[in-house]
Amino acid sequence: MRPRIGPLATAVLGLLVVALVAGGAAQEARKSGGTLRAVFVSDPPTLDPAEATDLTSAAVIRQVFDALLELDERLRPASALAASWTVSPDQRLYTFKLRSGVRFHNGRVMRAPDVKYSFERAARGKRPWVFDKIVGARDVIAGRATEIAGIHVVDDLTLEIRLDRPFAPFLYLLAYDAASVVPREETDKRGASFASHPVGTGAFRFASWRRDDQVVLERFPEHFRGPAALDRVVFRVIPAEITRFNEYRAGQLDLTDIPTGHCQSAQRDPQLRGDVAIWPTLGTAAVRFNVERAPFNDVRVRRAIAHAIDPSIIVDRLLERCVTAARGILPPALPGYTPEVKRLAFDRDLARRLLAEAGHAGGKGVSPLAYHFNTTDTNQRIAELLQAQLKEIGIALELRRLDWAAHLKLVDQGSAGFFRQAWIADYPDPENFLTVLFHSRNVGAPGNTSRYRNPRVDRLLDEADVMAAGAGRDSRYHEVEQMIIDDAAWVSLYHYASRALVKPYVKGLERSAQSSAPEFLAPLRKVWLDR
Amino acid sequence: MPELLRVVAGRVAAVVPVVFGVTLLVFLLNALALGDPARAAMGQRGDPEVLERIRRDYALDRPLPAQYGAWMGRLVRGDLGHSYHQQRAVTEIIAERAPATLRLAAAATLISVMAGVMMGALAARRPGSLVDHAVMATAVLGISTPVFWLGMMLSLVFAVTLGWLPVSGYGGGDWRHLVLPAVTLGALHTGSVARMTRGSLLEVTRQDYMTTARAKGLAEPVLLVKHALRNAAIPVVTVIGIGLADLLVGAPLTETVFAWPGLGRLLVASVGQRDLPVVMGAVLVFALVYVIANLLVDLAYLLIDPRTRSA
Repeated sequence: MRPRIGPLATAVLGLLVVALVAGGAAQEARKSGGTLRAVFVSDPPTLDPAEATDLTSAAVIRQVFDALLELDERLRPASALAASWTVSPDQRLYTFKLRSGVRFHNGRVMRAPDVKYSFERAARGKRPWVFDKIVGARDVIAGRATEIAGIHVVDDLTLEIRLDRPFAPFLYLLAYDAASVVPREETDKRGASFASHPVGTGAFRFASWRRDDQVVLERFPEHFRGPAALDRVVFRVIPAEITRFNEYRAGQLDLTDIPTGHCQSAQRDPQLRGDVAIWPTLGTAAVRFNVERAPFNDVRVRRAIAHAIDPSIIVDRLLERCVTAARGILPPALPGYTPEVKRLAFDRDLARRLLAEAGHAGGKGVSPLAYHFNTTDTNQRIAELLQAQLKEIGIALELRRLDWAAHLKLVDQGSAGFFRQAWIADYPDPENFLTVLFHSRNVGAPGNTSRYRNPRVDRLLDEADVMAAGAGRDSRYHEVEQMIIDDAAWVSLYHYASRALVKPYVKGLERSAQSSAPEFLAPLRKVWLDR
Repeated sequence: MPELLRVVAGRVAAVVPVVFGVTLLVFLLNALALGDPARAAMGQRGDPEVLERIRRDYALDRPLPAQYGAWMGRLVRGDLGHSYHQQRAVTEIIAERAPATLRLAAAATLISVMAGVMMGALAARRPGSLVDHAVMATAVLGISTPVFWLGMMLSLVFAVTLGWLPVSGYGGGDWRHLVLPAVTLGALHTGSVARMTRGSLLEVTRQDYMTTARAKGLAEPVLLVKHALRNAAIPVVTVIGIGLADLLVGAPLTETVFAWPGLGRLLVASVGQRDLPVVMGAVLVFALVYVIANLLVDLAYLLIDPRTRSA
């Protein structure tokens, strides 16, 4: 009897064939070769993971180096140099099994002592907060020790890291570019010049760097994930946004940012609209008050100003609806975000009443108010809109425009009472917004420039920071967020979005919320050119 | 020859007070400016312990006179210190950037001198004519057109629309990358050279020896090149020398528009980063270029006008 193939089996077989063909086609479609021509706004100050503090440097570092982990497109920790990891029941001990046979660009095999060395070196660098939760790290940061006691090399491929106390976002920190693994012999040999001759394990190795002109990377064929599709990546350095736009239109760049004021027109332009890519990122722009300075030490004055600000005007008229008006402090793309948190509603009558209650009817006694912001055209225009909005409740705003360094200094030392501030999350966790920006231990330069001190907020943040991810942790952060909004220590304006132009032949570019044009932080090993 | 040596020695001696004055001024302005180099280097999230360490590393914890004294002490030994921001020797950073700026300034000067002298001579041939008015109007337009706008327009037309030249970048030294930035920067000064050439030529052509030469039957081009231009050159050379300062002032904007990796952009970025050693180094280079340009102008006087050799 001849065996019969039933309809279900036929369908399954058919799907298998389709899948195989499609899979094969996808494999075939991923073309190898070519140069990706990307762009930066400014020259990266350094290519040393221990010294970098900016997105531009990070955009190169992430291609040249690997860390133990990386974040996938949905911002979940995923394996990188660590093949696997376990966490102890008390959430303090992390054990990592490293991949075997991973090579640095100089040919040497990476081992667990390299990870320990890299972390200790970076802890003495410019972003020590990435490591300060590890037992003994503060001693290294303060120069009292050379080794971090909480990092233990078990064998060449096993590493244990012990924390002072549980810290839920710790895995995110290990995916951060400051935690990149470097070869000791290269940093010893080159000293400070390692910053301009980086050697890592990344999918691309450093080729050349002409300052303020271009950084060139080339494929590292022995990368542990296999060679990247691209032969080379060239990051041009072009400070003027209109010049970047012109280079893109002239076909000399494969991706760039959309210039200010061109977001809608680019989407209408028949030649550009297919290239426009807009996605939410992890940033919030806001205005803040120094709650220690009069008249902002009166919550009614802060709330009056918050109620007088309508962010939708800024979003609609100025930012062309290419960003979203803010509800709360946390951006919608951040895990842990909730739409339940509500901003103080735009209500001019209430704002006037609150001012009157505070003894400042019609702005008497508080007007004129100085508003400080750092120099950009967008910030200037936002300041002018705020000026117009506050005028409606009787407050005359004096605009004080300073460059970034001066603005930082003024805000850090508490000299500015009302000022612009934005925050982009270093890693996708509410702790990186709320604890950093509002915990009383972070007053001043560490992040709490409002000088906001609220014992209940501190307690809830302390509890949430050590809790495992879940509803209990999220609810604490939500409560804190609402309390800060109600206290009007921070008034959110809008949430950031990446506004990019990407040529249609650029494939595989992740649009992660951590990645923002023109300094794309996406792993370029996944990118290939279909042309 | 003794006169030549005297001029050179005088100019070289002038370098000392110029360097002292300029660097002291920059240092004091930087000290008065709000902003902390250590904080600027840390990004938005500043760890107090690290900030203190960086301030110690940068010697920012020392009194201001001691900081300036240390800088001058290093300068005498030919050491401009280390960049706060790039953590490299300032001399290395400047040596990387200076060729690009000098190349741009040289090309822009060449363009402004050639175009300016030709325009001035053309205008001076028929004073009050339509050509004269048109040329002088163009000269005024060149002087008053913002560098940024002119650069963008040239780029749009010749790079984006026509595709004849690159939009921006250094291009590894490819001359095609130099054209648009040099024309943009040169335009700033072409008008001044044209106006001075015209005025000076008109002055010279009214002289008796020009009437005599004309009466001898010399052809107009010969008259212009052999007699008029040479005698009209001194004020023009002065304008060219002073104009070098304009080119240096215009360089940061031109370098920004055309993503040209020169000293101007370095200076602007370093001011923003409060990278004082680089700011001091770059300003010093600009001051030296200015002094050298003036020296060259003085030497040109000696060459052009024999009377100045015995003055």
